[in-house]
Amino acid sequence: MLLDIANNVALQQVLATMEVTRKKIAAIQTKGYIFIAAGIVFCILISVLGFPIPGVIGGIIPLIYGSVLLFNVNDSLTAYRHAYKTNVIGAALTFLDESLSINPYQGITASEFMYTQLFVQEPDRYKTEDLVTGCADRTRFYFAEIHAEYKTVTQTKNGRQTTWHDIFSGIIFAADFNKNFNGITIVRPKDFANALGAWFSKNVFSFGGNDVIKLENVDFDKTFVTYGSDQVEARYILTPSLMERILALNHQTRYDISLSFIESRMYIAFPLNRNYFEAPVFKSLVNAEALNDDITTIKFMYDIVKELDLNTRIWGKG
Amino acid sequence: MIIALIIIGSIFIGIFFYNSLIGKKNQVTNAFSAIDVMLKKRFDLIPNLVEVVKQYTTYEQGTLTKIVELRSKAGVPNISNAEKADLDAQLSSNVRGLMVNVENYPHLKANTNFINLQTTWTESEEQIAAARRAYNAAVTDYNNSIMMFPGSLFAGILNFHPIAVLETAAEERKNISAKERFNI
Repeated sequence: MLLDIANNVALQQVLATMEVTRKKIAAIQTKGYIFIAAGIVFCILISVLGFPIPGVIGGIIPLIYGSVLLFNVNDSLTAYRHAYKTNVIGAALTFLDESLSINPYQGITASEFMYTQLFVQEPDRYKTEDLVTGCADRTRFYFAEIHAEYKTVTQTKNGRQTTWHDIFSGIIFAADFNKNFNGITIVRPKDFANALGAWFSKNVFSFGGNDVIKLENVDFDKTFVTYGSDQVEARYILTPSLMERILALNHQTRYDISLSFIESRMYIAFPLNRNYFEAPVFKSLVNAEALNDDITTIKFMYDIVKELDLNTRIWGKG
Repeated sequence: MIIALIIIGSIFIGIFFYNSLIGKKNQVTNAFSAIDVMLKKRFDLIPNLVEVVKQYTTYEQGTLTKIVELRSKAGVPNISNAEKADLDAQLSSNVRGLMVNVENYPHLKANTNFINLQTTWTESEEQIAAARRAYNAAVTDYNNSIMMFPGSLFAGILNFHPIAVLETAAEERKNISAKERFNI
């Protein structure tokens, strides 16, 4: 545990103040939902009994009241969520390392998302938030939450239907790499599509400027498909020791990671299935379960620099 | 009609495998030339390194003379690839020894030129290691193609033979560590 939340007086004071706000918001939201549910139940019940008009009239009043309650509490909720990110997560970041900071309204832009070349599909809907920036010893890094989706439109008998599909949902981590290089190296998980694509471009025809790089680490080659613009440079970056470190990092995550090395920078995409750094409304802030999760994630990102040995700067890059 | 299709199909498959084998053989040649370029880059560092070290130490003359000697041997035109690789291995081992002994000369250790040369040398070591690995991957790919059916048929006709991969020195298999390498 990197930060003893229970014994940290400053953080406990912030959490205690915010807990009061949270309880107020939770109470109003609960009240709002109860009124909405009561309105709907009343409407259905009276209509079933044969009085649809009184049912609708009687049901609509609590429904409107409940909606107004939820609408009114929305501003407080936004302020509470923002305060959680800046005061709680922000404080936890500073305890970990003075250089770390969070900006809830910034992220990694859609153009940088495409620039990483980690994903082929261009997003139609793109959301990013919670940009964390900092420096671990000599290595500058940043990461942010991203949700990128593309849409497909199908013609049905009821008209056009739009379906949204995830391209990526999770955290993208970027760090200054410890070696100079000019080309592009991309490491993607070896799923069926990537394996087939790699076989095709190796044996039949290679699209674009990137070739498949067959690496000698058997485990690495089983887990990932590597593409690169230069066979030697890809191996200069992916040394036997870095491949081992990447595999170890990958073992710590539930879903396989993707990596790219572009213009002296390294990007890692971590697919995740939940939204991080969000303040709980119906769970207590004091028992800090959500906060522990968030801090573990931040610590994990911070430790990547150490895990991948990015602070060793003996290759002519300061 | 069917026979004609079979013949045309066979010709296309034949062309595909022939081109693929030639492509893989050329990749091996290209990969070796990459090693050559890296070696030349490294050999070019030697005169500067010797000059800087000479200014600060009078005790490493034997090693310096040996290094200069090996460098001039490597510069002789038309030496074989195997000889070049052997000279490089000897050079590396001597320079590595020299870098370790630098601990005894604090002024040299603090010299900016020397520090730059150290990092460039390490960079070139890892680049050569990468080029050797790329060469070995190209050789393995080529060897697999000519030893497996139907590539083996063409290899026989074209007189293609398996190529030996480059052995990696035990020293190169170790992870590069600044601490061990330069006593920093």
